[in-house]
Amino acid sequence: MRDRLISRSTLTLGVFLITGSLLVGACATDSQEAPQGVLRVAMQPMVQTDPAFISSDSEILFANHVYDYLVDVDPKNNIVPRLATAWEISEDGLTYTFTLAEGVAFHDGTPFTAADVAWTFNRLRDDAIDAPTADLYDNILAVEAEGDLEVVFTLSALNPFFLFDLSDNHALILKAGTEDAATNFNGTGPFKVVNYSPEDRVELMANEDYFIAGQPKLSGVEIIFFNDDEASVDALRSGQIDLVMRMSASLFISLQDESDIVSIDIPTNGFDLIRLRSDRPPGDDPRIIQAMKLATDRQEIFELVQQGYGAEGRDSPIGPLYDEYYNEEYQIPERDVNAARALLADAGYPDGIELELHTPDTGGRPDLAAVLKDQWAEAGISIEIFVEPESIYYGENGWLEVNLGITGWGSRPVPQFYLDVMLECGAKWNESHFCDDEFDELSRIAGSTLNESDRIQAYKAIQELLIQRGPVIIPYYFAQFAGIHEQFQGFELKAFAGRTDFRNVSISSP
Amino acid sequence: MIRVALGAASTSTRRLKIIIAALFQRPSSSVGVIIVILFAFLSIFGPALAPYGPNEQIAADARQSPSIKHWFGTDQLGRDVFSRVILGAREVLSLAGLGTLVAVFFGSFIGMLSGYFGGFLDEVIMRLFDSLLALPAMLLALLLLGTLGPSPGGLLIVISVVYTPIVARVVRSVVLRTKTKAFVDAARLQGESLGNILFREIFPSTLPVLAVEASLRFSYAIFLVSSLGFLGVGVQPPSPDWGLMVKESRAFVTQMPWAMYFPAGAIAVVVIGVNLAADGLRKALQDD
Repeated sequence: MRDRLISRSTLTLGVFLITGSLLVGACATDSQEAPQGVLRVAMQPMVQTDPAFISSDSEILFANHVYDYLVDVDPKNNIVPRLATAWEISEDGLTYTFTLAEGVAFHDGTPFTAADVAWTFNRLRDDAIDAPTADLYDNILAVEAEGDLEVVFTLSALNPFFLFDLSDNHALILKAGTEDAATNFNGTGPFKVVNYSPEDRVELMANEDYFIAGQPKLSGVEIIFFNDDEASVDALRSGQIDLVMRMSASLFISLQDESDIVSIDIPTNGFDLIRLRSDRPPGDDPRIIQAMKLATDRQEIFELVQQGYGAEGRDSPIGPLYDEYYNEEYQIPERDVNAARALLADAGYPDGIELELHTPDTGGRPDLAAVLKDQWAEAGISIEIFVEPESIYYGENGWLEVNLGITGWGSRPVPQFYLDVMLECGAKWNESHFCDDEFDELSRIAGSTLNESDRIQAYKAIQELLIQRGPVIIPYYFAQFAGIHEQFQGFELKAFAGRTDFRNVSISSP
Repeated sequence: MIRVALGAASTSTRRLKIIIAALFQRPSSSVGVIIVILFAFLSIFGPALAPYGPNEQIAADARQSPSIKHWFGTDQLGRDVFSRVILGAREVLSLAGLGTLVAVFFGSFIGMLSGYFGGFLDEVIMRLFDSLLALPAMLLALLLLGTLGPSPGGLLIVISVVYTPIVARVVRSVVLRTKTKAFVDAARLQGESLGNILFREIFPSTLPVLAVEASLRFSYAIFLVSSLGFLGVGVQPPSPDWGLMVKESRAFVTQMPWAMYFPAGAIAVVVIGVNLAADGLRKALQDD
């Protein structure tokens, strides 16, 4: 009887303790794992929402969280798994076989399979949709699904940067057969679209079925659109916004005194370039861009516009962070206003030349335009400046049409991207319409050889060629800035702001 | 006849002298007039007075606080803020002034026709102007600039279009009162031409109201030009437009507040000055 009594009370106590500890445990687990807190990010308004056509930071940031890449690039420019968990490259370097993550589902609940990857990449290289990636993927012979969890890429030529190409900004995996990718946001990504109000904001909520355990840590992300960098920084100061990733050096400096905002700056390979269309007058005469180059004081621009953040430019997209690919052996000619005037006179403009310069109103670009106006005026190059909102400058491909423009190019992990899409003859985003056989051949060698020293030589020759007769002036490589409220942890800014990943960002006091 | 004309001229001169004297009798209006004269002087002789060019960049002097060398300091690109404020006076005042003149010209003309003829023409013009006035001035300006593109010519058109209806309504109201007066009937009975009746008999009576209205419109036009510059849709960089200067230096306000406060102060001072002068003019004309 006594035994039984003791046994019953012990049992009761035991059940109570076990239940209690389970409850406490469950609560503790919840507080560790359940996504919580909303991150409010200021960004420029989106124009394109179809991943195949996105280009601005805001568009890429949005897509990067609604969809997944096959492979991703980490902040140190290493290729890391995302939807592909492993990959093998054939001995001849022409076949890439990817193993895909299991148990991945699209936001509409349908399972993700290798067929979706094949469909996405076939779409991106389909000339019919006229996507800018058609050039990037023109060496893919075939993309085939092998069962549900394996996909095979066959290349027509060697491409040492192929994995980087697969992590291109546009290469977000869509569901096979997606009809309207611009409005049907059915991704596998860490966040689902709750509401998209063009020109206002996009609201995302955590995808609780995300295939990577413990991600995302936030319950939501709100991308709030600002047309004005100053206004977004003011909103950060006043607590209406938690994160700003786009601002000029001066705005960044102005954040240094804010005690509750963590300010971050990292060097990047991104740059602003000034380019003149070379396929029509007056740029079809190479002496005009040469005169502009001779009239430009890059060091002064770097100090005035970037205030010492980043690095001075050398008229080539191969910047100093590309280590062994970057080469300073070939000197940029000294600024020589008289020589610039003489070139203009030779080209038929003895009294100088008048041009319109179009620039987006973001970052330090309007200041860059103002400095150029002053520097070039000394050489007889008179410019009228048109400052436009980014959504207008890039919208409807207006930036590809204007004669003289300033364009910001975000950082990429390898320089070959810029050569392929910006400078090769006929490339989709060849905004200067530059066409040079020698350049194309050097670019082809650099982008295909497996011999690293051959590639280094090709890049060196490309840098010399671009300084001598390239269609662009690159006065600086900019730094990437961000300001984030201190209660957020796990934020790691990427050189291309739109590729910054919020999956590991968490909040300490929501 | 000659004696009569001379007499009329001397009467006008005497009236003008009385009005000017009345303007300077009140401390507030005399301050306003002095401010307006000062800025008008700067806008005419600015290029001779400014120590540096509006876009002259001295990289070594960038972001310097006010000093003997740079009275208002320098901006982020090493431009002298004092020179830019002085040279900006011409930019702002000429655009606002010219725009106001055009609005006053068309507003007076349309207002006189509308008020004098009345009837269907008056109805059509006034309803059209009502619809324009229903839109806030800034919204109308943004709509027009969106179509015309940002340029000084576009701004001029915007100021004219925004303020013509307002001037027209004011002139029309005076004409409605004046056209029933006996001297207008007398002129009509004498068989004077329509032009004579409108511009020699009726128009002079609109002048006091028109002068006050024009000066008020001028101060609003300065605001409009500066606001559009601040929004980035007005005059384009690197023009020393005050509103644009405030916009460009807003990002640097913690680093170099002088680059923002001096052009902002110039806008405030000139608008207050024009308003004080307009108020003084109104009171002087009432006294007269």
